[in-house]
Amino acid sequence: MGKEYKLGTSEQQEYLRSYNYVPKGYCFLEPGAVASDSNDYAAYNIAKSFYQVYPEVFNISYISKVTGLKEDDIKARIKKMYENREFMLVYNPCVSVSGFGLYYWVVKLKKDTTKEEREELTKWFQDNDQICTGYMMSEGGDFDYYNGNHMRNIDNLVGGVLDKFRFRRCVEYVHICPIRRLVRESHVNQFDSLKDYRRYFFNENAIDKLCKLQKKMDKDDFKIIDAINNTKTIKDMFDYDFLAKLSGLDANDLRENLSRIVDKEKQMFPMVYFNYRALGLKMHFYLVSFFENTPTFRSEEIVDELANEDVFNNIFDFGDSHHNIMLSCYEDINDLDKVKSKLLSYGEVSEVLESTSPRQFRRWTCRLDDDNGYWEECVFTDDVLVDRSVNDTREDK
Amino acid sequence: MKVEKARQYVVDSLKYALNPSSIAVVGASRYETKVGNKVVYELLKWGYKGKIYPVNPRANSVLGIKAFHTLKDIKEPVDLVFVAVPAHLVTEIVKEAVEIKAKVITIATSAFKEIGRGDLQNNITQYCRDHKLPLIGPNLVGMGSPYDNFNCGFIPYLPVKGPIAMISQSGANLLAALGTSQESHFGMSFFVGLGNKADVDFSEFIEYAGKDPHTKCLAIYIEGLDSPEAFVDSAKKVDKPIVVIKVGGSKIGVKAAFAHTASENPNADDYYDKIIKESGAIRATTWQEFLDVSLALGYQPPLKGDHIVMITNGGGAGLLSCDHFERSNLPLHELEEISPLLKQRIRAYMPMFGSPLNPVDISGTAGVIQYKGAFKQAFRDPNVDGVLGAICPTAVTDVPGVADAAIEVYNEYKDLGKPFIMICQGGQECSEAIQKLRDNGIPAYKTAEQAVNAMVALYKYGKKHFKK
Repeated sequence: MGKEYKLGTSEQQEYLRSYNYVPKGYCFLEPGAVASDSNDYAAYNIAKSFYQVYPEVFNISYISKVTGLKEDDIKARIKKMYENREFMLVYNPCVSVSGFGLYYWVVKLKKDTTKEEREELTKWFQDNDQICTGYMMSEGGDFDYYNGNHMRNIDNLVGGVLDKFRFRRCVEYVHICPIRRLVRESHVNQFDSLKDYRRYFFNENAIDKLCKLQKKMDKDDFKIIDAINNTKTIKDMFDYDFLAKLSGLDANDLRENLSRIVDKEKQMFPMVYFNYRALGLKMHFYLVSFFENTPTFRSEEIVDELANEDVFNNIFDFGDSHHNIMLSCYEDINDLDKVKSKLLSYGEVSEVLESTSPRQFRRWTCRLDDDNGYWEECVFTDDVLVDRSVNDTREDK
Repeated sequence: MKVEKARQYVVDSLKYALNPSSIAVVGASRYETKVGNKVVYELLKWGYKGKIYPVNPRANSVLGIKAFHTLKDIKEPVDLVFVAVPAHLVTEIVKEAVEIKAKVITIATSAFKEIGRGDLQNNITQYCRDHKLPLIGPNLVGMGSPYDNFNCGFIPYLPVKGPIAMISQSGANLLAALGTSQESHFGMSFFVGLGNKADVDFSEFIEYAGKDPHTKCLAIYIEGLDSPEAFVDSAKKVDKPIVVIKVGGSKIGVKAAFAHTASENPNADDYYDKIIKESGAIRATTWQEFLDVSLALGYQPPLKGDHIVMITNGGGAGLLSCDHFERSNLPLHELEEISPLLKQRIRAYMPMFGSPLNPVDISGTAGVIQYKGAFKQAFRDPNVDGVLGAICPTAVTDVPGVADAAIEVYNEYKDLGKPFIMICQGGQECSEAIQKLRDNGIPAYKTAEQAVNAMVALYKYGKKHFKK
């Protein structure tokens, strides 16, 4: 066993040396955090606004070097993947320093829920701009939805979102799962992974199987996504001269500003999102609970061990919740029995709930419902200065 | 950026900004909560008849209209490109606008010179100038005209039709004026926000307004003048009254004007006073005066002389007026002095306790017959240059009836070219009368001082106009 972080030892948490309390919570705002419309974000914002038309916003020569593909082929493939809604350029903010708590929540519907009730609730989740990420599960699983909000205030989550639907007849329970550590999301290691920050994972065997299952994307497409996401520094992700040409801003400023907030300060990072729904894939979720007497450091060690597995495309670690971890991997291209056995091999695990998602609603505020004509419509909601806990009967009507 | 004088190609192109046959809205969003969506929505809502091309790289359709991923994807001619995307995207869009040979580009986007991106703004402007593509903005709210059902921007409503061209650097004040237009029937010919006015300058809109058949008066809100010589030159060319309000003269206002529309005010306010005087424009000090004076100059002919007759049913309104006339260096003359005959004739329309001085007090018992008679006599008298009427609603005053009488007399005698202004100082019935009077071309106001300011402006403009 590694560190124990025992009180009174040299391993105890650093902040306990300065304060008599643990700064426990989820919504931190740290000095130096910048807003998404600041100059520091400009390179990403330019790329985000133009990549649909100009694949050249990406560092094509770098991708060519890494993948061995010709530059024209890469550009054509990027355009194809965008137009087929297979990928999207997105960014993840480090909510832990920018003043938001990240609150996911699991919804379980009652067995006698009608088709109409389910459809209506699904539509409500899809259309609710306060929900920044969400997954709909197939009927018959252990739970039915897994959605999330970035919020500055838990009352706003409860009053402004959860209370608006959780008293419906068909809802059995809603479990709030505040994110303690965002470890991996959409195949990419996030700010709270122990190692390999920004590393993109997609199991090679799984890609092989996937390429045999369908014809929309081939291995070269996945190589391009891998190359874009796995640059060591963000300086290699984009063609900053091209971004400068598009925007009239200075290439060096664009590069250095973005590198500072991504590589050095870890405030955000851009990445390419793979839209599993476009290929007809289904994502299998595991909602893991530990016995309540499991020490926090041990539960975190387990999370870190599981993060070594490249089969998982999402790993969320919760605090103050009924549950401890949510993990996911794709059905059909992974050995789910093996995955479950791995999870159950930990003696600390008391329960594993499972469900399968054929559809993601949004990907960090970007809508994914091309079927409704809203592909990539982004609505960033912010509950600062807002009290959504006030009972507004007009909204209930 | 500075212009030496109004550029003809710009003046000629402004018709495409205010009456385009096709518009590309860059940044047209599918979401009704977003500004880019509102631009398309308002165009549709107010009945714009031309073609609309929403541009959005992520959307195939916006509000039921086919959307284009880029400007270059539009294969039809585009008169106006309206840009509502963040500043860092604008450079490329301007290049595409040049490529598709758009006639005018309007950039609503903020975050240029006013936040320190002067180079970016200047580079875009220079590119537009090099390619003779007039650029309106950036950092503006929009523009439109009620005559063409054209509402282009983040603007919730069109003004009522009328004679005033509203040219404003401030979007908020432009919206305030549009609100006033809706509420108080301040009629406009067209309106435009200039924002940072990086390229298209006041002078060019002044010359455009000078030729616009619906415009009888130009109302201009200025935060900074980059090209004072061009302003003076164009204003002198235009044979229509111009009312100017120039702000940002206070110590803190200088900084606020830069932060708002990147307006630089290196000179003291006296400097702008001289420029405005030299241009022949009338300078208003307050926003209310700006609107009041513009209204009068838009609707009424200039005042030839200082023989103004005021007819009122309330002595108080008369006293407020004559004091303010004197403060404004245009003292009223006694009726005896203007026209002894009128003094005798007008007595027929007042009780014995009425006063045939000037103001003429036809008393609180005056009805429609008395008002109509007194107004007619005043208009018909050759020695009278202008008429100021006042309604003070007593229990026996038929306010709507008097307003109708005023309209009837005005229509009968307006060809005489004598200004006619009304005061309606009272409650709801007076507000309604003011709207009705304005709808019929008679500037009407709630207070005596507003009406006097309006008459004084007509006199000032008359001195310039009749001198020619």
